[in-house]
Amino acid sequence: MVFSLASFSQAKKPIIMVVPSDQYCISRGYANTYENQGMKQTVPDYKRALQTDPDLRLVITKMSQIMADRGFPLKDLEQELKNLEQEGAEMAMMTSKSGADIAESPIDKLKRTAKADIIMDLDFTIQRRGPQKYISFNLKGLDAYTAKQVSGVAGAGNPSAATAPEILLEEAVLSQMDAFNAGLMRHFEDLFANGREVKMLVKMWSSATEDLETEYDVNGETIELVEAIDKWMDDNCKGGRYSRTDATATMARYEQVRIPMMKADAKGKEKAIDARAFVTDLRKYLAGAPFNLTCKVYQRGLGEAWLIIGEK
Amino acid sequence: MATYSADAQSRKERKILYNSQYNYEIEPVGVGQDGTKVFKVWGYGKEVGDAIINAKEAAVAACLFKGLPGGAGSAPTPAIISEPNAEVTHAAYFEKFFEIGGKYLQYIAVTTDGEPSGQDRLKIKKGYKVAIYVQVMYDALRKQMEADNIARRLDSGF
Repeated sequence: MVFSLASFSQAKKPIIMVVPSDQYCISRGYANTYENQGMKQTVPDYKRALQTDPDLRLVITKMSQIMADRGFPLKDLEQELKNLEQEGAEMAMMTSKSGADIAESPIDKLKRTAKADIIMDLDFTIQRRGPQKYISFNLKGLDAYTAKQVSGVAGAGNPSAATAPEILLEEAVLSQMDAFNAGLMRHFEDLFANGREVKMLVKMWSSATEDLETEYDVNGETIELVEAIDKWMDDNCKGGRYSRTDATATMARYEQVRIPMMKADAKGKEKAIDARAFVTDLRKYLAGAPFNLTCKVYQRGLGEAWLIIGEK
Repeated sequence: MATYSADAQSRKERKILYNSQYNYEIEPVGVGQDGTKVFKVWGYGKEVGDAIINAKEAAVAACLFKGLPGGAGSAPTPAIISEPNAEVTHAAYFEKFFEIGGKYLQYIAVTTDGEPSGQDRLKIKKGYKVAIYVQVMYDALRKQMEADNIARRLDSGF
C-alpha cells in the first residue's frame, strides 16, 4: 500500500524537544524555590541541569542523533534557552532611527519561553545492585496542548559491574528509542487518519455586550451563541469530533477537537492548518450575520487557540 | 468426534511449525551498536548449510514483520513494517528480496564463530535445527523499506 498523502503541500510538522522531567531536576537539586502568595513553589532549573549534568547531555545527544536520523531533528532546550536570552538582550538594545523601542506587551514577555509541540519528558537513574550498576529509564512523549501521552517507554537495563555508566546509558537509549518511535508513528498515523487533536477556548472581553447565552436566529431557529458554535464545530471538525467539556455564560472549553491536517484555500490550493487557522475560520463565521461579532484569535502554538469575543 | 493420540497431535504441530513461514524463533542476547540489533535465531533445513540460510532469512524477516522480543538488557523492538499482512500485499517484492542470494543478505552479519555446534545444532527428523548469532543492520534495513515505499517514514506527510 503506497501511503497517499498530499504531494504538493505538507502538514505542519510538530516541533519535538527533550526536556528533563520535573522529578529528575528536583531530585538532583536542579530547581529554584520561591514564594508565591504565601505558598512555596519549586520549579526546575533546566539551564543549570543542562550546564552541569554530563549524563543528561549524553542521553539528549544520543536521542537527538536518533531522531535526526528519522527525519525529526529535535529542538535543543539548552540552545533555545540561550537564544531566548540573547533575543531578549538584543530586543532591549534595539532602537529605530527615530529612537523608538521595540513594542513588547506583557503577554509577549510571558510567551518568551522554550516551546515545543511534543515534549519528550525524560527521566533516568543509575541504580545499584550490590557491585553492579544498571539504568532505570523512563521516556514519555507528551502532546504539549492536550497533555496526552502519545508515546512512552520505560524499563531497566542489564546490571553490570564492568560496563561504565555512560555505556549503560547509551545502551538504554539505543534499546528504547525504536519502541518510542513506533509509538510516535502510531500517533502520526492517527493524526492523518482522524485529524489533529487541538484545544479551543472561547472567552469574552469584559467590554463585550453579548455573552454565550445571547440568542440568535440561525437558519430559522433561535439558539444561544454557544449552541451556534457547537453546530459550526459539528460541520467543521473532522468527523464532527469534539468535546465541549465546560461552558458558562462567559467561557466555553472545547477539547479533543479534531481538525483536518490540510484544507483548500480560496484558490483551491491545499494548505496545512493548525489550531489558529481553524479558530480563524470560526472568527470569520461569527463576524458575519446574524452574529456580527468582533473577535480576537489568540494562538498558543500548533495545538491550542483561544477565541475572545467582543473586540480585537 | 474424531480423537487424536497425544503423539499424533504433537507430530502434526511440529510439522506445521517446521513449515510455517511465520515461525521465527528469536532470543535476544544484548543491545547492539548504533543502528543494529543482535540476537540468536534458529533455522531449519535438510543440511546444516540450508538451516543457516533459513536462519538468516528468519532473522531479517523477524525484524521486518514480527519485531524482536525483549531480554538480556534489551527492550522489545517493534517490527519495521507496521502495516498488517504486508508480506501478502507486497508478495512480489519480498519474493525477490528473500530469493537465494537476495538483497536481504546485505543487512545481516553472522557473528557465530564457525558452524553451530553443541546445543545450537540439533538433529531433527527432517534435517537440522541450528541457531546462529546475528547482527542485523536494523536502521539500514528500515531505510531501504522506506525508500521502497514498503514502510512509512516517521516524518512522511510533514
